[in-house]
Amino acid sequence: MDFFGLLQESMPMLLQGLALTLELAFISLAIAMVIGIVASLMGMSKNPVLRAINAALVAVVRGTPLLVQGFFIYFGITGLLNIRISAFMAGTIALSLNAGGYLSEIFRGGIQAVDPGQREAARSLGLSARQTTWRIIIPQAVRICIPSVVNQWCITIKDTSIISVLGLAELTKAGQMIISRTYRSFEVWIMVGVMYFVVIWLLTLLARFVEKKVSLDD
Amino acid sequence: MTSSPDVKVEIRGLHKSFGNNEVLRGIDCVIHTGEVVCVIGPSGSGKSTFLRCINCLEEPTAGTVKVDGNNMDENAKNIDELREDVGMVFQHFNLFPHLSVMENLTIAPVLRKKMTEDEAKRVGMELLERVGLADKADAKPNSLSGGQKQRVAIARALAMKPGLMLFDEPTSALDPEMVGEVLDVMRQLAKEGMTMVVVTHEMGFARQVSDRVLFIDQGVIAEDGTPSDVFDHPKHERTKSFLNKVLEA
Repeated sequence: MDFFGLLQESMPMLLQGLALTLELAFISLAIAMVIGIVASLMGMSKNPVLRAINAALVAVVRGTPLLVQGFFIYFGITGLLNIRISAFMAGTIALSLNAGGYLSEIFRGGIQAVDPGQREAARSLGLSARQTTWRIIIPQAVRICIPSVVNQWCITIKDTSIISVLGLAELTKAGQMIISRTYRSFEVWIMVGVMYFVVIWLLTLLARFVEKKVSLDD
Repeated sequence: MTSSPDVKVEIRGLHKSFGNNEVLRGIDCVIHTGEVVCVIGPSGSGKSTFLRCINCLEEPTAGTVKVDGNNMDENAKNIDELREDVGMVFQHFNLFPHLSVMENLTIAPVLRKKMTEDEAKRVGMELLERVGLADKADAKPNSLSGGQKQRVAIARALAMKPGLMLFDEPTSALDPEMVGEVLDVMRQLAKEGMTMVVVTHEMGFARQVSDRVLFIDQGVIAEDGTPSDVFDHPKHERTKSFLNKVLEA
């Protein structure tokens, strides 16, 4: 079978894998953004308990491999509590917490990177602390954060491949399954690689467009 | 204690420390409505801290600051309202870079419900005309020169129709050829009767425009008098040596 024959035969399964990859990434990142925002606010709170919760999340996420986090959630916690959850659910939880921890640090960094003079100027005009945060600080922090956030999205999209070890037939697993049938390792990994690459590339284009749109220069 | 109606700012026993560093060591001062007060002194003397205590950007370690008889206290419920009446202009402009020039002027009056959007725009346009920047209404702050930025910053503060304006070294970050345009706006403002407290290194401006000059050194007001008192007949050795240094340069 030539390359195109193989491509044609593999495509349905690869596309199905890609769809699962995108679904896993999209849901996980949506949840991760919420976790990231909440955790970063906790990290900047005056309450030491809230700060500690954020610090713990960030430390665990950073300090352990995603693979171990996935196994721990899928097998460890479910075993201890004697419950069953789907591989998709376990993967979503692991990816959400993982990306959420990193995003928390990105958001905190972005907010703290806004010049303190901005807050002073806003308060001196009579804006309340809340108005200052939402109308002056956050819009600028978002702009600062965009490149790092997009970077984290790219990483998480690719990290879904790690979740394949839980038995989820996402893109990487789909590639493996085709290879075990066809023994065409070289070509199939190229196909899989190109599919990841295109997704990330499109995302990068979109990010660059948004970045330009909200740029602080005229 | 009730203050007489023409007292705008009343400062009693003001101390401010940052950690172990006591920057203000007991300041008593009254500023009257319509007065233009310039604050001079060596760097690190506490001039800026003094100014920032007036609108409570810095919280006093001890002592009180009253504006129109109201305590300026960060924890006061009405601190936001009290600050509405005290405009501030910063050394580094601190314009909001994500907003257009016009939005910089209208955001506070609109959010503070002082004016409707249309009213705020009309007032904003008048102010931009006054500082000679009407054509920049839609520009983003980052496209302006330093002098233009500072004139916008003055207009932004005036948009809230404050009764008192604080200037924290407004020309120190400017290229020399832009100092004049900013000082002109301030001179005009002084002529119109605005109560102003100006921390400055522009001795010429202080001498010509101010009604009163404060010389702050080592956290206390070392000299307090008319420009001619302070510049021509300084009482203290420290004032003399400071003036010698800056006027020679």
